[in-house]
Amino acid sequence: MYRLLTVTFLSFICAGDTCAQYVVPIQFRNTWNYQPIELEKSIYHNQDTDSVSITNLKYYISGLALLHNGHEVYAEPNSVHLIDARIPKSTTIFLSLPKDVLYDKVSFNLGIDSVTNVSGAMGGDLDPTKGMYWTWQSGYINYKLEGKSNVCKTRNNEFHFHLGGYGYPFGSIQKIVLNLERTDSITIKADIATFVKQIDLVNQNNVMIPGDDALKLSRLAASIFSIQK
Amino acid sequence: MKKYLLLVFGVWIVIVALKGDDETKFRIPKNWPNPVYDFNKNRLNKDKILLGRALFYDPVLSADSTISCTSCHLQYTAFTHVDHTLSHGINGKIGTRNAPALTNMAWGKLFMWDGAINHLDMQPLAPISHPDEMGSSIDSVLLRLRRSSIYPSLFYRAFKDSAVTGEHFLKAISQFMLTIVSSNAKYDQVMRNEKGIAFTSQEANGYRLFRAHCASCHKEPLFTTNDFRNNGLSVDTTLNDFGRIKITHNPKDSLCFKVPSLRNIEFSYPYMHDGRFATLQQVINHYTTGIQHSATLSPLLDKPILLTADEKVDLVAFMLTLTDKEFLFNRAYSFPKEIFMSAPKE
Repeated sequence: MYRLLTVTFLSFICAGDTCAQYVVPIQFRNTWNYQPIELEKSIYHNQDTDSVSITNLKYYISGLALLHNGHEVYAEPNSVHLIDARIPKSTTIFLSLPKDVLYDKVSFNLGIDSVTNVSGAMGGDLDPTKGMYWTWQSGYINYKLEGKSNVCKTRNNEFHFHLGGYGYPFGSIQKIVLNLERTDSITIKADIATFVKQIDLVNQNNVMIPGDDALKLSRLAASIFSIQK
Repeated sequence: MKKYLLLVFGVWIVIVALKGDDETKFRIPKNWPNPVYDFNKNRLNKDKILLGRALFYDPVLSADSTISCTSCHLQYTAFTHVDHTLSHGINGKIGTRNAPALTNMAWGKLFMWDGAINHLDMQPLAPISHPDEMGSSIDSVLLRLRRSSIYPSLFYRAFKDSAVTGEHFLKAISQFMLTIVSSNAKYDQVMRNEKGIAFTSQEANGYRLFRAHCASCHKEPLFTTNDFRNNGLSVDTTLNDFGRIKITHNPKDSLCFKVPSLRNIEFSYPYMHDGRFATLQQVINHYTTGIQHSATLSPLLDKPILLTADEKVDLVAFMLTLTDKEFLFNRAYSFPKEIFMSAPKE
């Protein structure tokens, strides 16, 4: 009985003060080199080719976790976020952490895991109305980049990269782990220029099905994330 | 004290009211396997089923409001489109595959002839978006539902939320599709040893032949394993459809298509993924003398199936015992007049 009272008492204290949560913002900054991406407006220049503009940039971040000395110390519950360059509010995620948790790394997935992919209709950021679900073949699009470049000899010079696929051997979800220098707020840079410059846009400008190409490009897309110092 | 009791009673009533939610139980027919569908994620309820049924019958799902689910999946013909080899869509467009008969979907694992769809909830997205079927998109369908005079209140009744979301839309259609169960054909009544019901000697011989030659793929009681098989059809060069390989990119899946259920087969003609056979006799002749051998042919068809003319007739007689009249004419599956007739015109 006394123990129960003590637990109850402690839990009240916990709720009140020492175990209070604090909030850490994680911002995803989509850039072209050092400039923030502006959809449609800006024309960017590729070193060897010519001009590039971005019309659509969306991707899923899931399974956000924090690590300390290689061990997970915090995992965000129900962690799925759709980052949409068109919706500024979507680019910052707020983590509510228990106080005094120490961490030196952040880890997350670029994309949606296979279990979620086969679990039927879901709401929120996973609602199939978000433009990130394939209709002709079930599965989430993990990463969507669309734009125009004069080197693309396609209709309206458009390029489309819809990267996804969850089934063996084309599972395209990518795990990303980044070292942190400061921990009160986290800014993650995703440099689109790094992605686009490594693609031969003349010959590869449409990838919209799961497969080898999507897998290679998913790995490339994961490589552009870094901690902004 | 009395007041206190009253309060407790009041709280109990509220809890019961909230919990009750008019849940409808999904009945698994006797001796059937457990369904594949996870009902815990989408608990059946009569208002949700009714909403799904309304959506199933509503051409608002197509770009020009001419095509509904039932255009290709008509109840009286086992929820398929008889006499049409390939599916029809808006503006007279013709698809590349035969609309499949819909039945016992709670036991389905993958949907479509090539298994492109991994969950019943996600199935409607394909015909809604396909340019040769409904030619619309989920976003424009939802926009039209939000503006309609009947749907916001139907969504509210079903989900206690009038917001018309993709999740609720898809879950409601699933609810209706899940209730489409065929388990009361003569075959079922014989299996349940119902009084006064027995196979004729012809049907009994057909059943024996069926078990010997067909049942490994068309496994009872669902009459399918839901697997993908190459059943030895020649490639139709006007379609060049290689089936499941399109989804898996695996050469072993070339020319493999989903094994369809044989329930209500009497009414679901024409047969095969491209509707190439008009009659059951043609289907049987294919299996006895028409098999095309190729690297991915189902090993079960490697050796020829030999049947006499009489045996073929008996086999067909058995297949006709899979006709379930109660299913074909069940009012619970038909056009929900009460919704559309009472609604004011838009």
